[in-house]
Amino acid sequence: MKKRVYMLTIAMLLLLSSLAAAGETGAKLSRESIIEKIQKEGIIRVGMATFVPWAMKDKQGQLIGFEIDVARKLAQDMGVKIEFIPTAWSGIIPALLTGKFDVIIGGMGITPERNLKVNFTMPYDYSGMSMVAHQKKAAGFSSIGDFNKPAVIIAVRMGTTAEQAAKKFMPLAQFKLFENESQALQELNLGRVHAVVSSAPMPAFHALKYPDKLFVPLKENFTREPIGFAIQKGDFDALNYFNNWILNMHSQGFLKERKAYWFESKEWEPLVN
Amino acid sequence: MAVVLLLVAGISFFFFRMGSILAYQWEWNRIPGYFMFKDSVTGDLRVNMLLSGFLTTIRLSVWATVLGFLLGTLSGILGAKGSFVQRFASRLYVETIRNIPSLVLVILFYYFVSSQFLDALRLDTWLRGQSDGFQQVTLFLMEGPDRINAFVSAAVALAIYEGAYISEIVRGGINAIPAGQWEAAWSVGLSRPRTFLRVILPQAFRRVAFPLAGQFISTIKDSAIVSVISIQELTFQGMELMAATFLTFEIWITITLLYFILTFSLSRTMALFEKRFSRQQ
Repeated sequence: MKKRVYMLTIAMLLLLSSLAAAGETGAKLSRESIIEKIQKEGIIRVGMATFVPWAMKDKQGQLIGFEIDVARKLAQDMGVKIEFIPTAWSGIIPALLTGKFDVIIGGMGITPERNLKVNFTMPYDYSGMSMVAHQKKAAGFSSIGDFNKPAVIIAVRMGTTAEQAAKKFMPLAQFKLFENESQALQELNLGRVHAVVSSAPMPAFHALKYPDKLFVPLKENFTREPIGFAIQKGDFDALNYFNNWILNMHSQGFLKERKAYWFESKEWEPLVN
Repeated sequence: MAVVLLLVAGISFFFFRMGSILAYQWEWNRIPGYFMFKDSVTGDLRVNMLLSGFLTTIRLSVWATVLGFLLGTLSGILGAKGSFVQRFASRLYVETIRNIPSLVLVILFYYFVSSQFLDALRLDTWLRGQSDGFQQVTLFLMEGPDRINAFVSAAVALAIYEGAYISEIVRGGINAIPAGQWEAAWSVGLSRPRTFLRVILPQAFRRVAFPLAGQFISTIKDSAIVSVISIQELTFQGMELMAATFLTFEIWITITLLYFILTFSLSRTMALFEKRFSRQQ
């Protein structure tokens, strides 16, 4: 009996050490630059999450949006096919780190906290935080100070820079965190929270959709955030390639033109509704 | 009859409240287009997100059920009649899995275990190298190369989870066969393994057929959990659609109905079989 228990313990230890060894080979494999891997396989795998109008599905179930245009252009310039991997936002960094896709092109704000886990390219876009509020609950509110009170409840999408910005600018307010933007906005429509903080221009669009219930309390965005591609740490070939690609796109005016289409016009609205 | 009336009253009251107090703009007319739509160029009917999610849920449940059944049966047999080490292994498996929330298990499995083992198999690269016909078959049975890794890891994670419960059902079934059955088989000269395969196991499965069926149905419901690892099944597709369209209530209600149709029709079928079966005995 004793001998058997002993053998079992040994077997378990062996199993655990083989797991650790597998972890090490995994780390070694990822030393190869993803640029090489993408070229070799002829396919780039892009992680993203739905954020209107960065990335969303149109009526036909096809992905459209600013990020989607950027990623498609990148694949075209690299001469490879593209695969989008829609991923829940809260799990998008772990999925990148465990190699579920090659790069995040998903409107990810460059923050020092995230940068400890992943590498960011130079910004290809800037976004800012904006707010949409409930007309009855937040009647008369017109500044950040009006919302920075203990009685005020603000809904945000979990793990986003919106959450960070809202907590930084309105530390006294209470927060409700949601997995998706739509849940946060639903809470606002139901009048259970005073406001929703999110990247512009979505709050303004939502206020336009429900003009008799919601309004935009702040005239200007209250932050300006750089947005970059995120890749695994230690891959400098990829970082260099993406940086120079972004530089090129800035100088060709591609990014500016796409941004004007998705963020300043509403020409794309019929594609979704 | 009274129950139905009460139900109808309850539902209409819900919609009335939604309409007046919450001022929710219902847009049910947009929902059918998310099942299927007519291609504006070719005029063909094409599958959209909700239907494709529904089909993925079915495929995922079938695979998880088949794998979970094999795993659970093996573990159940070892747990009932194995050696000390085999019984220990079976217990270890069942107790570990049953005492972890399924959500945690799926996340752990996807990020840690499957990254080291399943992804290292490079199923997606291999599948891309295969002929178009083969890829079509795989797409029909499982997923295309872009999602195969995640799909397999989800199916295996679900199978491991369901397998633990199936293991207990099977073990109980085997242990419930009276010792007299064994003795009778031996007395007519059957060997131990033969007795088990030909006499004990068939009777055990007959006893546990309906608990097993119940477990299969709950696999369908449990499959919603894998939306957290971004498997494009019904719940995930619904949430993506809500994020894009903000049709929150329409889509949740549609999803609920779809799951209900699937599980309810299955459980009715099972009940029908049960009736037939008990009449035969």
